[in-house]
Amino acid sequence: MASATALLVRDELIGFAKSKVMLVLWVVLPLIAIVGYFLLPATLTGGGLGDGLGGGLSATAFMGFLESSLSGTVAALMVAVDIVSEKNRKVYELFVIRPIRREAIIWAKFIAVFSCVTVACVVAMALGIAVDVIRGQPMTGPMIYDAVKSVVALTGVIALSAAVGVFFGVVARSILVAVILILYVGQNLAIVPMLPMYLGILPGHFWVLMAVSGALVGVLLWISGLLFRRAEL
Amino acid sequence: MVASLVQLRGVTKRFYGQPVLSDVSFDIAPGEVFGYIGPNGAGKTTTLKILAGLITKFEGEVTIGGANVVTERDKTHALLGFLPQSAGFQNWRTVESALDTLGALSGVPSATRAKRIPELLERFGLSEARTKKVKQLSGGMTQKLGLIQALLHDPKVLVLDEPLEGLDPPSRKLLKDIIRERQRAGTTVLFSSHILSDVEDVADRVGILNAGKIATSGSIRELMTAFGLPIEIEVDLAVVPETLPFDGLGTVTPHKPDQWRLEVPTSGDADAIIHTLIERTLAAGGRIRKIGVAEPDLDDLFAQYITRSAARG
Repeated sequence: MASATALLVRDELIGFAKSKVMLVLWVVLPLIAIVGYFLLPATLTGGGLGDGLGGGLSATAFMGFLESSLSGTVAALMVAVDIVSEKNRKVYELFVIRPIRREAIIWAKFIAVFSCVTVACVVAMALGIAVDVIRGQPMTGPMIYDAVKSVVALTGVIALSAAVGVFFGVVARSILVAVILILYVGQNLAIVPMLPMYLGILPGHFWVLMAVSGALVGVLLWISGLLFRRAEL
Repeated sequence: MVASLVQLRGVTKRFYGQPVLSDVSFDIAPGEVFGYIGPNGAGKTTTLKILAGLITKFEGEVTIGGANVVTERDKTHALLGFLPQSAGFQNWRTVESALDTLGALSGVPSATRAKRIPELLERFGLSEARTKKVKQLSGGMTQKLGLIQALLHDPKVLVLDEPLEGLDPPSRKLLKDIIRERQRAGTTVLFSSHILSDVEDVADRVGILNAGKIATSGSIRELMTAFGLPIEIEVDLAVVPETLPFDGLGTVTPHKPDQWRLEVPTSGDADAIIHTLIERTLAAGGRIRKIGVAEPDLDDLFAQYITRSAARG
């Protein structure tokens, strides 16, 4: 059973890695972001007029902001659209008639999208760091710590968003419905892991936030798996 | 009595409250080829999807090899090869990658896949397309790919939904050959089709489904007898006499130029009628090219069944 899941994960990773979406996500978008960073007026990035290209904000921080605002939505949309589209094209019929756990199909999809979007974030951050180094602004110890922490936080956001995408991919019958659900409902779910801290139930610590996100991801994937197992395809 | 390998008992399925299948029951013995026919919307695909475990909410009981298709899905799936009505593949996959993954998921060892996939691709004339992406294949080629994935793991039970759809005549012949080969190897085959001549060619028994109910099942010969289909005498005249020879012998319909079909009751003596026809034709100055009994086929049987159903309302 484990080997079937591993095979599906490997295949999904290959599928996404080969898709044009990943070319855009890994190469085109980071490059556009860097160009955008250089074109930003200095006043908008915290620097004074005449501070030069990019203003006062480092490229690393800029890319971090950009990724945190985009990566979750991208992950959720990617996985949901893929699942609904394959459901509608009856792709899963040929998988579920084989002696495997049905849930493995969508869990593999989750792992693949999570990995691909995380790689895209790391690439973007690395590009930001490279730009800063080239511009003579090498990262200090605390900056490296913050960058690593923001990447780790991003993985939590990406995982939660991808899990939300899996859930809506399983329940929605059309791509449009899945997209609407993600944009209007899924976006607001990102705040859920923070609620225990806002309400004072749990201490407001970074790792607590990550643990709550992880638990939520697990619950969402379990429910999605249950629904997918019972679905009539 | 041979124990059934596939068994449906009182299967009823409703979609949005409307019955699609009503109390459908039939058995298929090991090594038997069962043709499942019926008009569009009769419920054939729903039945096959239930067998494949794709539809799980229904009334009644369905087993394959004694295992329940809902509660013992792993067991039934290990026995089953299934071709859905329109087989879908992930667009990014090549023909080879699609088959390799599906074979692996069916538990076919890597060495066996490496041998069997090229063999089947060759047999179905898809060797050249092995590195092509699935989305580049034509409809007929995709159908063949669907058939290959169903055969790949050498299943004990083959369930094929309209397998001949979209195939050219040589491919149809090939598939029929494969079905016969599989039968000789002990595989049980259930397939639906609306190309009745093909069903007649390979099926040991047929089941006729209409409006969600299994109307009748049995061997084609049994069904012909049970339906009491009228005998038709085909008459092909080289020289047509001034007075046609059919008067008082039965209902005559023109078939082709200089050809007629004379329908006589099942109880009628076809040999005596043919004798009379020959005598009358020759006496009237006509000449006969061909004369004989036209055996009713599955098309006739099916048409007759639908006509009778419509008459009953």
